Formats: sequence, C-alpha cells, structure tokens
Amino acid sequence: MNVYPIQWKRVTTGIVLTSMLTVLAACGGNNGAENGNKSESGAAPSPTAAPTTETVATEEPAVEDAGKLVVYLNDFDAIIADMFKEATGYDVELVTGNGAEIMSRIEAEKGNPHWDIVWADMMPSIHGLGLQGQLLEGWEPENLSQVAEDFKAYIPENKTYFPTGAHASGIIVYNKNFYTEETAPKTWADFAKAEYKDQIATADPAIAAPAYPFVAALFDKAGGVEEGKAFFDSWFNNGLRVYPKNPQIVQALSGGEVKLAALQESNAYSMVNNNEPIGIIWPEEGAPASVRVAAIQKNTKNPNAAKAFIEFLLDAKTQQQLVDEGEEAYFDPAAQGVTARPDRAANAKLIAADAAWASQHEAEIKQWFADKAVK
Amino acid sequence: MFRLTNERLGWLVSIALLILVLYPLLAVVIQVLLPGVFFGNWVIGDLSLLLEIFKRPLWQKSLENSLLLGIGTTLIGTLLGGVLATVRSTWRFPTAGLLDAAVWLLLIMPSFILAQGWVMFSAQQGLAVNLFGWDWVPGAVFQPAGLTVIMTLSKFPLAYLSMKAAMEWKVQQLSDAARLGGASPIKVWATIQAPLLLPALLAGAALVFMDTIGDFGLPSSIAAIYRFPTLPYSIYSALYTSPIRFDMAGVLSFYLVLLISVAMLLQFAAMRRSRFDFMSGGAVPSVPKEAGKYRWLLAAGNIVFLLVIIGIPIGSSLMMSFMQAQGGGVKAENLTLANYAALFDGGFQLLHGLGRSLMIAASAAVIGLVVGLLVAFVLTYSQFRFRRGIEVLSLVTLAVPGVVLGIGYIFVWNQRWLEPLGLLLYGKPAILVLAAIAGAIPVITRIMVGAMAKVPQSFLHAAGLQGDSLLRRIRRILLPLMRGALLSAGLAAFGASVFDLAVNSVLFPPNYITFPVAINKSFEDMRFGYASAATILGGGVVVAIILVIELLFRRKEARS
Repeated sequence: MNVYPIQWKRVTTGIVLTSMLTVLAACGGNNGAENGNKSESGAAPSPTAAPTTETVATEEPAVEDAGKLVVYLNDFDAIIADMFKEATGYDVELVTGNGAEIMSRIEAEKGNPHWDIVWADMMPSIHGLGLQGQLLEGWEPENLSQVAEDFKAYIPENKTYFPTGAHASGIIVYNKNFYTEETAPKTWADFAKAEYKDQIATADPAIAAPAYPFVAALFDKAGGVEEGKAFFDSWFNNGLRVYPKNPQIVQALSGGEVKLAALQESNAYSMVNNNEPIGIIWPEEGAPASVRVAAIQKNTKNPNAAKAFIEFLLDAKTQQQLVDEGEEAYFDPAAQGVTARPDRAANAKLIAADAAWASQHEAEIKQWFADKAVK
Repeated sequence: MFRLTNERLGWLVSIALLILVLYPLLAVVIQVLLPGVFFGNWVIGDLSLLLEIFKRPLWQKSLENSLLLGIGTTLIGTLLGGVLATVRSTWRFPTAGLLDAAVWLLLIMPSFILAQGWVMFSAQQGLAVNLFGWDWVPGAVFQPAGLTVIMTLSKFPLAYLSMKAAMEWKVQQLSDAARLGGASPIKVWATIQAPLLLPALLAGAALVFMDTIGDFGLPSSIAAIYRFPTLPYSIYSALYTSPIRFDMAGVLSFYLVLLISVAMLLQFAAMRRSRFDFMSGGAVPSVPKEAGKYRWLLAAGNIVFLLVIIGIPIGSSLMMSFMQAQGGGVKAENLTLANYAALFDGGFQLLHGLGRSLMIAASAAVIGLVVGLLVAFVLTYSQFRFRRGIEVLSLVTLAVPGVVLGIGYIFVWNQRWLEPLGLLLYGKPAILVLAAIAGAIPVITRIMVGAMAKVPQSFLHAAGLQGDSLLRRIRRILLPLMRGALLSAGLAAFGASVFDLAVNSVLFPPNYITFPVAINKSFEDMRFGYASAATILGGGVVVAIILVIELLFRRKEARS
C-alpha cells in the first residue's frame, strides 16, 4: 500500500500553494495590466497632483490628501469626473451603481470605508448615514450662498449633507393610445378610481432608489403611517402593479402591460423624447420629490478634494452644465440662477416628506409595501 | 500512505473552499446572530427572524415560488437534457453541431438577458402578438407553468452537458452482449445504458435545481409583467432596502443553502451502494451512428427546437439592437445601426470593460480548473472524512445569489488588519477573480465529478503500484481520459464568468467598470438598443473564443 514516497506530500502542498499564490499573482498582474494606461489603481495611494487652480479655501490647508478622491454615485457618471478635473484639477475615481448597490456597499464597508463622497438622489437613506455618524458634520461650504432658500430647508442642522437638486420621483404618465389629457388621472387620489382598475404601475420602494421618497411623500401627505397605508390600500385594491424599478415600468408602458403609471420624471421625459406615445401630467397638489444630496465621509483621507467636490456641485455653473449635458437632466436645480430644461413643465411642483421622518419609518413602510405587493 | 496523501489533498481543498466560499458566506449568515461583528459591535441579533419565513407574506410566497420553480424545472429540464444528449450521442444528423453551440450560448448568457428576450417576445404587445398575431402567448407564459417552461429552456444545458460528457465513453461489450442475447435496443438502453448514466443524470439534475432556485434574472425581468417573487428576489429586496438588512439576507441565504443540502442528500441517497466506474478495457469512445432515413427528420426537429430556445430570447435582443425606439416595431424607419456605432464611442469604455471581464474570466477559468480538478479528485477517489462537506461547499455558490457572496467578500476582504499584509483585496481587481473562481467552482466540479465517476480507482491503483506519483497518475491517466470534460468545464467557467453581474456590481473597484456592469447600467438607463447591441457583441466575442478553443483542442484529439 505504502508505495508513495514522502515527496508526494510536498508536491501536493506545492501545487495547491502555488495555485493559491497564482491567484494573487495573476490578480496583481491584472491590476497592473488593466490599469496601465490609467496610472495607479485606487488601491495604491499616491499623492494626487496639486490642484491647478485655487479653489479650496478651507480653513485647514495643513491636511494633505492621501490619494484620489473616490465618489459613490448613481447618476452623471459619464461627465462628472471630467467636469471636476477641469474645474479644480483634482482627479476623481467613480463607483457607479443603482441606489441600492451604492448603499449596500457603504453599509458593508462600514468598518473600513473606501468612499470619500456619496452623491445620490436618496436623501432619507443618506440622512440615515448621518444618524449613524458616518458623515462629516458641521462644515459649511462657501457656495451654500448660491443655494435657493427652499433647498436650504433640506440641509440638516448638523450639516451632514447638501442638496444639489430635486426631481419628481413620480409624475402621472398615460398612454396616449388609450387616454387623453382629459380622461387621464389628474390627482394621486384618482389612481383609486374604478375606471383605472388594473392599469396602473408604480416602482417598488424596496428596490428603486427614487421610489421610497415617492411613497414617503404620499404617506406624509396623507398624514402619517396609518393614513398612508390606507391611502395606498386604495391603490392596491384597484389592482396596482408594483415593478422593481422605473425602467421596467417604461417597458411595461411601451409593451402595453399597463396604461398609466407614477413614473420618475427623467424616465418619463425620455420616453416622450423617444417618440413613445406617452403623455405627462404634473399633479397640481405636487409630485413627490426625490432630492439629490451630497455628503462627505466622516473619516475621509482626502478632505481637501472632498470639500472642493461639494463646492463644485453647489456651484450654479456646474448645475447648469448638468442640466445641459447630463443624462438625468430633468431636475429642479438647487442653485439660484440655473435654467432647467425648457421642455420640463413650468408648473412642476415638488413636495417632499421630512427626511428625518422618512428615514425613521423607512424600514416599516418598505416592508409593509413589499408584503402588500405580493398579494 | 495512499490514504494519508489523499488526506493531505483533502485538507488543502478544504482550505481553498473555506477561503473562497464558506468564510464569505458565513460572514453574511452570521449577521443574523451577530449583526455588528465586522464593525466591532458584539450585539446578539434577532433570532426570531429565522421563523419569519413562515409568517411574512413576501417570504412565504418567495419560498413557495422558489420550490415550485426549482422542482418543476429540475424535472422537465433533466428529462429534456437527457433526451437531447442521448439523441445527440447516438445519431449523426445535419445541424447537430448547432445544438452544442446553442447549449453553450445559453450557458454563458446571463439569465437576465435571456429573460429580457423572453419578455420582449411574450409581452402583451411583444413580438409574438405583434408579429405573428399569437394572442395566446402572454397568457400562456406569464403563469407559474409558463415560467417553469422558460426556466427549463434556459437551464437544461447543465443537464445536457453532464449527460453528454458521460456518454463520451461506453462499454459496448455489455450492450453487444445484451443485443446478442435478444434484447431490443430499447431494453438495452433501459437496463444497461441508462442505469450507468445515473450519476451524470443526478449530477445534472442537482445542477439544474440549484441554478434555478438561485436565479435572479428571470424573476426580476418577468416582474415587469408578472409578479413572481422568489428567494433570491427577496434577498435582493432585503439587501437593497435601506436601512440595509444583512441579517434578513442572511436568513434567506441560510434557507437556500438548506434547500440545496436537502437536494444533495437526496442525490447521495439515490446513489448509495452503487458503483458506476464502468470504464474498463472494454470501454470505447462513443461515436454517433448515421441516422439514416431519419436524419432530416432529426435535423428539422432540431432546427425548430433551436428557433425556440435561441431564436426567441437572443433573436429578440438581436432585433432590439437594430431598433431605435423599443415600441417602434419592426419598420424600416425604426431600424438603425446607431446602437452598434455607439459601442465604440467615448474612448472605447465599453471595450475596455469587455477586455477586463475577459481577463478576469480567463484567470478564473484556469485557476478554477485546477481547484475544481482537485476537489473532484477528493470527492471521487478519497475517503476524506469531510468529503460531504466539501461537496456541499463546491456547489453552494450556484444557489446562493452572487450578491450575497459579493457582500460576504466585502466583509472578509475589507478588514483593516489585512492592509499591512497586502491582502486588503476589496477595491482591487483581484477580488473579482477570487469571486469568479468561487462562482465557477460548481460547474467545473460537477462536470469533472461526472467524468471521473466512470474511471475506476483501480486504474490509479495500478499505476500507483508501479511507483507513479499521484500527480503523474492524474496527469497520465486521469486527464487523458477526461480531456473532453476538462475542456467543457474550463469553457463553461470562462463563458459564465464574463457575464457574472451580481458579484461584479458590488465588488468592482473604482474606475474599473466591467462588461456586465456596463450592460446592466445601460438597461437601467433604458438604453435598451445599446444594451442589446452590447450583449450581442460581447456574446459574439465570447462564443467566438470558445469555438476557436474547442476547434483547436478537438482537432488535436482527433489527430492523436
């Protein structure tokens, strides 16, 4: 039986160890090869080139940035890095994902965060990060002076995040082949009318980033959690269909599965721009807002670049450029003196739930909605 | 000494699987017990969550749907895969090669893209209704039985490949003897050939089951039309709910692992007390016979089948990739090449992503092949005491959604103490390779185990008695006998890793967008035409690579 020389053990150990090492080596290799033309990867901290233009007038210039600024965001990823580099000279690295992906990364990284800035249209969730003590507090950007008064109201007392704009997380859209402006619903309460039974879609607040602000605002408008449940029950009883995200509502609308929806505004306008037979109604009572806010990670190693990024976002010039060139261009800019898209309704009225209230009831409302939607 | 060396190998394989699979998975499941453990908080979690699955409507429904879909797909998918593999290995007919290509295509295409294709076809105003006037399609598809059929048509390749690999060799003597003894071909098949294929059949069934209950693409794409929550769907909601509930994801993942463990116990029970290492001096490579007068019938049937399984899902993507507006229909003015032109815009970002994904997938396939081979060896030839455990671990990543594994990888590879060791891999491309290996291990291992089951241990013993080392025995005896399986395993792992979205979307490093992430982003941005064009391009490149490698190796085999 015992015919296998001792060396076999070493050989096996060798193979497996080698293969394990190969894993690491191969990966290291990838790292270099892939990023060859992109200078260093995010992992190798190298001092960033000093900004070319003087933009950061912070009080403590003594603190040096340790590496490249890392921004977690869900929109504007195509243009923001170049815009920021051009405006300030700072390099920035992006992690793009939908709201949920960004939040689960931040949450899982809690012990050792990799991000410096989070910028996304989910104020309640970012408010929650502030409550957990994950955000830099008390710093006031100079460009706050450019922000309109109604937007300043969104900034919490401890100044953990700053609004850069807001868009409707839901407006009423209808398929023109079946409805006209007259026959389509005009208020949110109309969604409970028998004539619209089984034809209405909305996004799942547990999955879509802007859908929770939508639901929360209507809960708030109804007067509280119980009243909100009763309000949405009237939709559910009317055969409301809940889709995971807004693009799936778009598909359902163009595929004819549903004829009406509460749809996020950029999605709605791009359907119109794509020549889909879609009409848009801004309810007079207001469309629930989804506020895009930016916040700095508390222990950021790149405070100068991070602050410069916030200043840059609050700048009217930046926001005008986002309106003109961004893919999520339909929004109400936070800075004064910025012109919104000309085809965006002039009577666009936004309403939002109080962020603290929305954050406090987030788990409860989402769970209720999810369980309700199954039935 | 033989036992001891196998023991060594067993431990090494265990450690590899521990690092790649168990530790990250436990990191998520432990959130139920100790929610703050990775952030220095020692708080006991809410264990009553474990029972919530029997109370919360969403979870209950998810469990029900998952079981229904899983069992239904397993039964039909295994049957379909088995029949097709048998036909393919028995007869030669025109277009047979296309069946193999189609199977590969289905295997590497991410399920969300296949499902999107089915949805575009069967929706209320989809291609079926608009183009062919088949009004019954939406109603037939969007119900549990319809979804099971779609799932079957997407997942049967796992059963097909498992069976086909097993049919590469056969013991003709046994069949000949039976035929001489007067048995009909059907009787020979039922009493000799089929029973010998049992391990491959069960392995295929287990794979189909696990892949089905772990699938997220179908329920999420179908959700655009028909709400059908499954366990993975609820796991996503838990992870994607803010405040994020890692503990809930942990509970649901726990149930998924439980389900696949039960499936495997059933498989073990069915195979107990049987030996299947039939290969001996009498085994010959199986060569398909001419189908004679039935060849055109078979070819026609094959084409119709391919039109359904490939034509519908991928054809829909193909059409979409040439369309301007999704709802614009197939009209001349709605046709465009702009979507393809757009792929090359913006400094070749998308192509960079494809390059990265190909590199990651290739590394993962090569390393995964080594790990998988060793795992399969331990499972097949050793008496290692934790063999069952290894087997479960080698399959877990099939059923557990990639995003759970991804979160686990962040917990594991983002701990500060790893930094001085240079092992803080989160935020580096290396972590994508590790995760891709973990994702590829089930398929590789299953294909290898299926192939090894036929090679008797006595072959290895015999060589061992002549003084050959274990390594040489693997290289000289085992590998040549299972070259086909090795190739299949490596290519399957490669193809599937390129498109693995879930892991990529939570793990990709800053400024390191991978191909599936880019595609998914354009789907989310509603650039359906662009996303479809990217899918077609990426799928085409991957299929081309696979075909070239197949051709190179198969030709070599034919020559030798």
